[in-house]
Amino acid sequence: MRPMTDPVRPFDRRLLRLRRERAAPRLRTGSFLHEEIAARLLERLAEIRRPLPRVLELAAACPRLTAGLAAREGTELVLRLDNVPALLAGSGPAVVAEEELLPFGADRFDAVLGIMSLHKVNDLPGTLAQIRYCLKPDGLLLAAFPGGGTLRELREVLLLAELECLGGAAPRVAPFVDLADAAALLQRAGFALPVADREPITVRYREPLRLLRDLQAMAETGVLAAEARRPLRRTVLMRALELYRERFATEDGRVPATFEILFLTGWKPHPSQPRPLPPGSGEIDLAAHLGRPPGGGQCSRTSGSAGGSKRAANSAQPSRPGARITLRNSK
Amino acid sequence: MTETGNEPPIDPRLLELLVCPLTKGPLRYDRLRNELVSDQAGLAYPIRDGIPVMLVDEARRLREDEAIPPELRAERDEDDR
Repeated sequence: MRPMTDPVRPFDRRLLRLRRERAAPRLRTGSFLHEEIAARLLERLAEIRRPLPRVLELAAACPRLTAGLAAREGTELVLRLDNVPALLAGSGPAVVAEEELLPFGADRFDAVLGIMSLHKVNDLPGTLAQIRYCLKPDGLLLAAFPGGGTLRELREVLLLAELECLGGAAPRVAPFVDLADAAALLQRAGFALPVADREPITVRYREPLRLLRDLQAMAETGVLAAEARRPLRRTVLMRALELYRERFATEDGRVPATFEILFLTGWKPHPSQPRPLPPGSGEIDLAAHLGRPPGGGQCSRTSGSAGGSKRAANSAQPSRPGARITLRNSK
Repeated sequence: MTETGNEPPIDPRLLELLVCPLTKGPLRYDRLRNELVSDQAGLAYPIRDGIPVMLVDEARRLREDEAIPPELRAERDEDDR
């Protein structure tokens, strides 16, 4: 049997470093996709009024983002972090490190920001926890990276071509985080006021091959651990590009490539932040407002479930007649 | 200082921010060898062109006699100040 992708460490970070090293000269002149995402991230940052004196920039491959952060009022330090030294050349303080093993002490930064960084870490919950650790209380995490349906056209045609030519398929396009999971991950990592949203960006290419070139230039070609062991054959690639044109080309002959960019925002908890009241402390009876007798809901679970008494099956509903749910607005 | 005479100095603000990525423990700045030393992890992280390289697989493993034992570390830190 072929070795499968390790479900715990799907990405080969060493390979990623090689790819970034190779792509460094082009990345540093600014890839259009990075610039676009950086611009959108800076727009969001502009809505946050307070100064962020000490900022950590993850995967600092976009000069525009660094410049934008440094230009903010009240910024004293923008520390750039990347796993490849070639991307950190130039002026300004910088650190070579892996996002998965951040070398920072507790409560050091007012903000941690980054684009195109968190989609290729093996342990996203662990990385988020480390980011929270090095943020000061009330510090901001703002990250943008591809998620969900990114490159779905390419994923589809590679799968089809490989099935057609070889009768089997290896994973080629990385698994991405879904929007719903992203918010849950933020919460699980202990961020307050977590928000995850997405912005689709569709790039239209004259040729599907140009998409691959672009991905190469951005060091975004596959780094799945299993992939290194099973290279993509030329015939399969050619068939995939043919299928790409057949299935997705529009009237003008161009082919679209979808990037679904997730934006994650979260704050390190601080007493000044708005939060829900403890359960049971509310003063408005929700049941009364909904016009239903308390505890009168329906339960869809059947009574035959393993070892579950009727009482346990009902536990999702208010068990006391006076149970109330209240949310308080920011104070 | 002959070895490191041409090396650009490390930004002093970095020394305040950095810890060992593995242990999250303190680092000792070895000016002579131009390294950041984690006694807890037994690793020395190189500084290249003024940029600390905090990658575990690029770090130098300390010899046993190099690491400062925990009971002496506090004294040593005070000496540095």
